[in-house]
This record gives sequence, C-alpha cells and structure tokens, in this order.
Amino acid sequence: MRIIDVHTHPVLDHKGATPAEVKSLIAHGRRHGIVHMVALGDVLVYGFRPNAAQLRAINNESAMVARLYPDYFTAFCYLNPRLGERATMAEAERCAALPGFRGIKLECACNAAHACMRHVAKAARTFNFTVLQHSWSTTNMVRDRVYQSDPIDTALFARRNPDVKVIMAHLTGIGFRGVLEVKDLPNLYVDTSGGWPEEGLVEFAVEHLGADRLLYGSDLPVRENAITIGRILGAQISAADRRKIFFGNTARLLNLNLN
Amino acid sequence: MLIDTNVNLGSWPFSPVPDRSGPELAAHLAASGIRCALVSHLGAVFLPEPMPANRRLFAALKHTPGLLPVPVINPALANWREQLAECRAAGTIRAVKILPNFHNYRLRSRRLDDFMAALAETGLKLMLNLRLEDERHKYFALKMKGVPLADIIAFLQRHPTHHILLTGAYWSQEVRPLVASHLDLNFSVEIAFCEAFKTLETMLAAIPANRLMLGTNTPLISTRGQVDKLRCARIPARAKRLIGFENARRFFSL
Repeated sequence: MRIIDVHTHPVLDHKGATPAEVKSLIAHGRRHGIVHMVALGDVLVYGFRPNAAQLRAINNESAMVARLYPDYFTAFCYLNPRLGERATMAEAERCAALPGFRGIKLECACNAAHACMRHVAKAARTFNFTVLQHSWSTTNMVRDRVYQSDPIDTALFARRNPDVKVIMAHLTGIGFRGVLEVKDLPNLYVDTSGGWPEEGLVEFAVEHLGADRLLYGSDLPVRENAITIGRILGAQISAADRRKIFFGNTARLLNLNLN
Repeated sequence: MLIDTNVNLGSWPFSPVPDRSGPELAAHLAASGIRCALVSHLGAVFLPEPMPANRRLFAALKHTPGLLPVPVINPALANWREQLAECRAAGTIRAVKILPNFHNYRLRSRRLDDFMAALAETGLKLMLNLRLEDERHKYFALKMKGVPLADIIAFLQRHPTHHILLTGAYWSQEVRPLVASHLDLNFSVEIAFCEAFKTLETMLAAIPANRLMLGTNTPLISTRGQVDKLRCARIPARAKRLIGFENARRFFSL
C-alpha cells in the first residue's frame, strides 16, 4: 500500500529541522508505507498570529525540508492573512518561486469566514495553490470562533471561492456535522487527521462525500501513523476507496508525479 | 493472541456505532487479532442504575467464552452492595468498572472507602474509567471533563493495597504526570487514549511495560488503529507480549 500523508509537520516546536532528523522521519514514514509527505510547517511556534518575519522563518524550514528531499516532501506556504494583502501575496510569491511549494497552510490566525481570507484566495488563484485550512467543530470545548474555524466557516470560504481547491483538515475534529456541511462543495476535500480515530466516521465521510474527496493525513508528529493508517485499514470501505484515500486523491489534487 | 482490556457492547446515543451481539463483537475483535476481551455495556453509562445494562451484558456474553463481562457498579447509589452481589451471583467476573464522571461522584468521596473495602473482600479488580470520548467531540449539551488527576492520585494513595487499572487515560495530561511523580502507586494503565508520535516508545521511556495493557475502547474508536499502535511499535518483543496479553492475563487471573 502506497501512502501520501497530506498533513505533516516535520519541524514542530523547532525540533526536526536537522538533516539527520529529516532523514530519520523519512525512514519512519517509509516503514509505514508513506512514500510522500506534505510539510505544513512549524505553525504554532510563534503563536496564532505570526508576523511576516516569523512566517518567512517557518516557510524557510519547510523549503529546506523540500530541498533536501524533493522526492519525499511537498511544502505548503504558511500564511497569516491578517497581515494584509501585500504581505500575504509577497510571502506566497516568495514561496511559489521556491522548489516544492504547491499549497497554502492556514492555522488559527483568523476564522476562515473572515473578510481577509480574500487575500488567501487571491494568492491561491495567482500561484495555483491548494489551501489547507485547520478546522475543528466549535460546538463543545473548542468554542473560540475568532481564531478557530468551524466547518461552517471553512465551507463558506470554499463556497465563496469555487475556483480554489480547499482541504478542510481534521476529519475527527469536524465530525459528522462537518462532513454534511461540505457535502455540496466539489472544490473542498477533507483530510483524515486529528484526534482519536472515532469509529464510523471514515465510512460516513465516504458515504456522503464520496471516496474521491477524502485524503489521508496524520498530523505527525502530534499523532501516530500506526493509528491514523490503521483507522483507514479497519474502515468498512472498498479496497479501491482505500487506495484513493491513501494515495490517488492527493496525487491528483496536488499534481504529484510519484513513480 | 491479544487481550483487549477496554471493550463495550451496546449503542452510544451520540454516534452511529454498531450495536453488536456477543458473537458479532467476538468476530469483529478477532479480525484485529484479539481473542479475549474484557467487556462492559454502554447502557450502564446513562441509566439511573446500571444493573439493567449489566444484565444485558451477562446475557449477551453467555455463549462467547473469549468475552469476559466487566459489570459497571455505581457506588454513589445506595444499593451498590446489591449491585455487586447480583453481579457476582450472575457468573464468574474478574473485575468491576466505575465511571465517576458519568455517574456524578468524586473519587474523594468517603462513600468509596466502603466500596473499596467490600471489593477487597471479593478479590475483584477495579477498573477506573477516566473517559469514554475525547472531550472536544462530545455531544454539544454534554459538558463533562475527564476525572481530575488530583482525585486519581488521592484515590490511589488512599487505597494502596488495591492494584487499580486506569482506563481511558490520556498520555500527556494524566499518565505522564502520574508516572513522573507517583510511579510508586499501585496502578496500571490501559492505553486506548494514549497517543504520541511514537506512543509506546515514548511511554516505555517513562513507565515499565509491566504497567501497560492493550485496550481499544471499541466500539467508540477504531479497533484496528489501536491494535496497530502496538503491532507497529518498535519496542522489544517482550514488551509487546506484556502489553498485548501477559499483563492482562496476570491482572485478571485468566
């Protein structure tokens, strides 16, 4: 089984940036059948709203990882749309010129329904980037809607920008309600990362979204690949759907040519 | 051969988990290599008194010898001695489970001292459940947190002769701080809610393998994912055997 992990943080909290650590991570991934990872950056190391210099530092680390092992890593450019259109476009343009960048990562700088997200949409269109938005249901312990994006908010961003490809992160975090929220949005995909592998959720997502819109993600090193992969292997879905989730969908979405 | 120390029968009101019969549950677990499991009934979580669910549990597992009933006792109710006596009379049981947060009592309650004394007389083991779900994903109107760590420590300190199995514990918020300062206390840990980048490698740096037991929290979370956490771990084979079945076999006298 070949796997692409669309949600990883090879560098987290300043750890993992040395060549030896990156090599060790690749060995770890290969043991689990992961042939490619999408590096999303050390996104919380400077808090929810990093400034321009901090964003550059984070993205430089992702660029370094992708440069060291271009066959193994694709990078996403981490942005803070609160910094305004000029800063958002400048950092996206800088990353687009670097090898290996194919998307934009958004964490908790602002809610996905905020007006400043139009800068992100513009950057995505301009540089042909896919947007991966951290999302979590805000109906229980996670209440904050200033920094956190409920699936309703991420769905609104995708609905406002039907020509932009959006990945809503964290299937477990968005839950059953989140899956239903994005059912009618063909430009929105969901990654399977986040939280404990609640039973039945993968099957529910395949039933309502179709297997073509689910992407395997682990959120490593926050979570463990054996669990996040085992969740898909144990789901009551077809082998063909499993292959799409593990590999085919992300390869197609990000136009990855992996032999 | 794996022994799963944290399994439930029954339905859950907040998610569409399969409500399996005993044989169906046995087949589901066997698909992940689990031949023996300690099983409670989810009906006991919300009923005002757990015995109707315990009775369903005993009936459902009558013909599945690999599935061992673990009835839930609510020691905050005035009839806890009757609950315990009926469960013991229903058949061979090796342990009982308590759910302090769902049953609305604190582990600091003095009423629990009588319960623990009675339990000691029976020779039954105690499984102390800290949570059944990730608090962030609960039904929106269910505002319940895990059992407080300070209460767990005080409880273990008050009952040093009981070897207690903690189920549903988080690694970073509960197990890690507990073992850092109180490894001398008499407890073991079921690992369904323990997760890190390399879970068992990380845990074994802090806690001996003879204190850990496999658990999957089936059917609320993925059985296969939890088993693969052990199967794929790069830890000594002896540690895998201890966690996978030997510790449970010894603890439950199987």
